[in-house]
Amino acid sequence: MGDILEFKNICKSYPGVRALQDVSFSAKSGNVLALLGENGAGKSTLLRILSGDVSPNSGKITINGEEQIYSAPNDAIKMGISVISQERQLVPSLTVMENIFPGAQPKTKLGTIDKKKLRSESNAIIDKFAMPIDPDDLVGRLSVAHQQMVEIMKAYRRNSRIIAFDEPTAPLTESEINVLFGLIDQLKAEGKIIIYVSHRLAEIFQVTDEIVVLKDGLLVSQLTTSQTNENELIKAMIGRDLGDTYANLKRNDQIGDVILEVKDLNTNKLKDVSFTIRKGEVLGFAGLIGAGRTEVARAVFGADMISSGEIHFDGKKVTFKEPKDAIKAGIALCPEDRKDQGLLLFRTIRENVTMPILSRIKSGLFLNKKLERELTEEAVRQYTIRTPSINKITRELSGGNQQKVILGRWTNSRNSTKLLILDEPTKGIDVGTKAEIYQLVCDLAKSGLAVIFISSELTEVINVADRIIVMQNGQITGTVMREEATEENVLSLAMLV
Amino acid sequence: MQQKIMRLIRSKEAVLLLITIVIFVAFTINNDNFRRMGNLQGIMQTMSVTGVMTVGMALLFIGGGIDLSMTFVALFSGVICATMIAMGIPWPLAILITLVLGACLGAINAFFITKVNVMSFIMTIALSQMLQGVNLIITNAQDIAVTVEGFRWGARMLWIFPIPFVIMTLLIVGFGLILTKTRFGRSIYMVGGNEYAARLAGINPKKVRAILYIIAGTLSSLAGVMFTSRMASAAPAAAADWQMNAVTAAILGGVAFGGGSGSMIGCLIGIAMLNIFNFGLTSIGLATQWITMASGALLLIALTMDFLNERSRKKSLGLITTKKKLKLQKGV
Repeated sequence: MGDILEFKNICKSYPGVRALQDVSFSAKSGNVLALLGENGAGKSTLLRILSGDVSPNSGKITINGEEQIYSAPNDAIKMGISVISQERQLVPSLTVMENIFPGAQPKTKLGTIDKKKLRSESNAIIDKFAMPIDPDDLVGRLSVAHQQMVEIMKAYRRNSRIIAFDEPTAPLTESEINVLFGLIDQLKAEGKIIIYVSHRLAEIFQVTDEIVVLKDGLLVSQLTTSQTNENELIKAMIGRDLGDTYANLKRNDQIGDVILEVKDLNTNKLKDVSFTIRKGEVLGFAGLIGAGRTEVARAVFGADMISSGEIHFDGKKVTFKEPKDAIKAGIALCPEDRKDQGLLLFRTIRENVTMPILSRIKSGLFLNKKLERELTEEAVRQYTIRTPSINKITRELSGGNQQKVILGRWTNSRNSTKLLILDEPTKGIDVGTKAEIYQLVCDLAKSGLAVIFISSELTEVINVADRIIVMQNGQITGTVMREEATEENVLSLAMLV
Repeated sequence: MQQKIMRLIRSKEAVLLLITIVIFVAFTINNDNFRRMGNLQGIMQTMSVTGVMTVGMALLFIGGGIDLSMTFVALFSGVICATMIAMGIPWPLAILITLVLGACLGAINAFFITKVNVMSFIMTIALSQMLQGVNLIITNAQDIAVTVEGFRWGARMLWIFPIPFVIMTLLIVGFGLILTKTRFGRSIYMVGGNEYAARLAGINPKKVRAILYIIAGTLSSLAGVMFTSRMASAAPAAAADWQMNAVTAAILGGVAFGGGSGSMIGCLIGIAMLNIFNFGLTSIGLATQWITMASGALLLIALTMDFLNERSRKKSLGLITTKKKLKLQKGV
């Protein structure tokens, strides 16, 4: 008894991003350790390193002083590590007992699966946790909460010494959360090491013993839960410094009439979302990942079904069935995932820029290639896209230049864009280009465009936007003007239930 | 200008053309039969039927689809056309009706694939099988002869070129223009390259795909009519390898099976390469069964090349992550 898990000097970088820098801490058995931090602080990367999904550039993981080396995907499991991620790792078409014993079902003498033994062993585990689940139930028919329980039982069956939970309560209701916490207490009493990742501060105070706070890939503090409070945690999580970038922005001060009004918008992910945005205004959307910001953008853009609510655009009540209709009305969306949702990676800058305006650059039957070239060159100039030629394939551009290509798609002279929605426009982009994009956003606002600026980086959204809407769980929890916005007040709106 | 020429020389199409010429020259040197004019015309004649189908298949590939009902749409069209002519309907009208029918069959594919969300190759195989049955029912498994002299244009020449070859060439030029110069052509690349991004840029991917299936149906139908015209009879169940040849030719011609890239020039080279290869093997006296096997091997080689190509594209993008690799290893 008394296992100790240690992370020693873990470093991990991806092209352009340092996800973790020299992170060291340890966790003891019988303790619940919380990993806390903003989006992109490095929590998920750390869990993925723990599960052997990615390997660190340097540093090591030790259990009881012994270094753990992963060479195959199964190794983490063999070492007694189970990571229960947000994506279920269950087979929905198989039964509960088959899922509890994946690849390890007890066998009969003939080599077939011993169903009787499988059932009785599964029942023993289910009874231990007092779950209202039958071993013969199909996992696909269980509620999300019960599926999660099956995952926990799977980890328990493997005799895991270390169980990590990534946002386990996100899909659960109040009473289900209590059942989960009971389970965690039980595991804790058995001397397991528990790592608990969550954005919900209240929960962290409820179940954890220790807290590790990460920020931009650095460990900023390690605290004992009973000796800290919410304010101290929030302070530890925030405070990034981008120098004078924000102070030097030339902003638009001519804010015009209302261009978009959304009233009581409901979809399967959003609840009663209402807001307005004016011409020339930069409206920020802050919140944690999964708070519903992207869903608002998609609903307004006609990409997702709306179950109820009204949208008024440019003085008219509108219903967009397809993005096509929204584009026609003058709304543009730069999606959050440039590569998967935005670009034709294997086509040229030229073809990517003119995607939505092909009907406007036709002369007769054929496309007017000269006009297409001119428009693309205009975009390249306006946004200083660094490329030797407009015929370069977009996947060969840097992230920042790719983002500029998408901006150029929506804002050239042949477009009639009135509202531009930017979803995470600076994700994975270097600091210099970020500053350029902030100024471009302000310039676009100056030209009379309304801009919705969605970002998971708090500092960025409260410094670039004129007004910030904060979301949580598909609902708007507050609106803050830039002058009053601090990371503290925005983050507390985004996190506290 | 110089840059343009360099790009042309380095392009995928140029490499393919070179390979084709090498194959051609190799057969020519080795075999006197191969060189004769009649033989060349024979190659052109044969390649036209699969060539027209290849155009349809290539368009679908670029747009991210596939049609495996082509052979039987073609045979069915031949049977219908021959039957109508036998009933005394003037042949141009019979052809027109047949082509409309082909478009309707394409529309059936399009409906189930885009509206009912049936997977494309399952749907087209289903239609293919239905037509296979219908063909035998209509014809009682007998060939239908066409005796009207005017309908035999499929066997005639326009100067030194067989008429079907001229039709195929016109189609390649026409669709080449559509692909490179029109809005619709551009939309095909968008939908095949990144359907999601295309939708967010205001394209309706389902509509684009639906049109492609209708085009493919019409072209298959035309191929069937051409074949019937050349042979002066329609067979209910001949030549089952047509559409496989179309798949092979399109992939040999550098059209990406996964969608988003390919060209009509490449397509033409692919058709030529496959047919010269087959004809060459025939001319050196190889038996048909061996040639069929060789074509299969050629398809496998082409697909492997396409796979390697795709993989290097994805790798360079970092789309294959550790996580995906793990999933593959685990077989989940």
